[in-house]
Amino acid sequence: MPAGSPDIHDLEPQAFLEEVHSFEFWFQAVEGYLSGTTWGHRPDVSEQPLPDDERERLITVFCNYCVGETAALEGASGLIAIAPNHLAKVFLSTQVADEGRHLEVFYRRMRDLRVVDPELEVERRASRSLQLFRRRLLELVAGRDWEAAIFAQNVILESLEFAVFHDHARTADPVTGDVLRRVIKDERRHIGFGENELGRRLANAPHIRARIGQIKKELDRLVLDALEETARHLALARSDQDRLGRAYLESVERLGFGP
Amino acid sequence: MRDEAESVVGDPSAGAHEGERQRFILEDTGFDEVPKKYRRFYRKWKGAGDRLGPNEVICPVCKVVIRSSRTLRPGDRVYCMPCMSRLVVVLNDATGMLEAHVAY
Repeated sequence: MPAGSPDIHDLEPQAFLEEVHSFEFWFQAVEGYLSGTTWGHRPDVSEQPLPDDERERLITVFCNYCVGETAALEGASGLIAIAPNHLAKVFLSTQVADEGRHLEVFYRRMRDLRVVDPELEVERRASRSLQLFRRRLLELVAGRDWEAAIFAQNVILESLEFAVFHDHARTADPVTGDVLRRVIKDERRHIGFGENELGRRLANAPHIRARIGQIKKELDRLVLDALEETARHLALARSDQDRLGRAYLESVERLGFGP
Repeated sequence: MRDEAESVVGDPSAGAHEGERQRFILEDTGFDEVPKKYRRFYRKWKGAGDRLGPNEVICPVCKVVIRSSRTLRPGDRVYCMPCMSRLVVVLNDATGMLEAHVAY
C-alpha cells in the first residue's frame, strides 16, 4: 500500500479479518523484526555478565516462561482441530510457529546462562501454579471447549505473558531484553486474536458468559500466584506487581468479566 | 471511516478546517510489526511526553498508536493490525480526548 493509496481503515471488516488472519500477513510481519536475528536477538547485542544470584533468579524466571510457552504451544496446536472456521485454523497455525520459536529461544537463553539441561531445570524450578494452569488448559482443549480454551490460553495466559514480558524487558540484561521485545511483538497478535474471537462469541451467544466466568474464577488464583512468584524472582516492588496484575486484568474486564 | 467532506492539506501543521477533515501524509516511523505496506498506519507510543495527533488513537488492547490519513472523529472505524482488533473512535466526555473502543 504505497503512500497516497487508500486508508487501511477503509477496508471492509471481513476483508480486514481475512488479511490479518492469513499466513501471508504473518510471514511479512515477522520478517520485519526477526530477519537477521540469531536465537531471537540481534547478533550484535553483547552479553553482559550477571552476578551469580541474579543469574540464578533469571534462570528460574525462564523456567516459568518455558512452562507458559509450552502450554501455549500444546494448547494452540490442539485448538486447530476444533477451531470453528478456516481463518481461526490458519491463525492458530501461525501461533503454533510463534510459540515453538519462543520455547526454542528461551531454552537457548538458559543454555547461554550455563544451564546444562534446560528441560530438567524447568521440571525442578517452575511454578506449581503455572504447571497446574497448563494441565487445566489442556483439559479444556481435550474437552473440545473452544470458548473456554481460547479464554484460558489467548486471553488469560497471553495477557499475563504480555504484561510480564513487557515489564521484564525494561530492566533485563541486553540479550534477554532484545529476545523479550521480539516475543512481545508476537504476543500482540495472540492477545488480540483471543479477545476479539471471544468477544464475537460472547456477543452472539451470551449464554456462554456464565461458563467463562466460572473458568475465570478457577484460573485467576493460579495466574495471580504465578505472577506473584515470577515478580518475586524479578525483584519487582509491590507497586510494580500490582500494576502488572491490573494490566493482566484489563483485557478480561473489557470482555465484561470484572474482578 | 465515515464519508464526509474532506480537505486535502497534506501538511499536518496547516490546521484543521471546521466541518471538514484534514488529510495527513503518513510516513513510516519504523514500526516493524506489520507488513511494509501497512507500517505507516502505526507507530509506537513513546510514553510520558508523547502526544496523540488529531488523526491518532491508542489501541486499548495492545497499546500501539493507530494512525489515519484523516482527522479522526467519534464514530469512525479504525483497525489495529498488530493485534487484529476492529475499533470504534469515541469521545471521552471526562477528558475531551478521542479514544478507541474494541468493536467485537
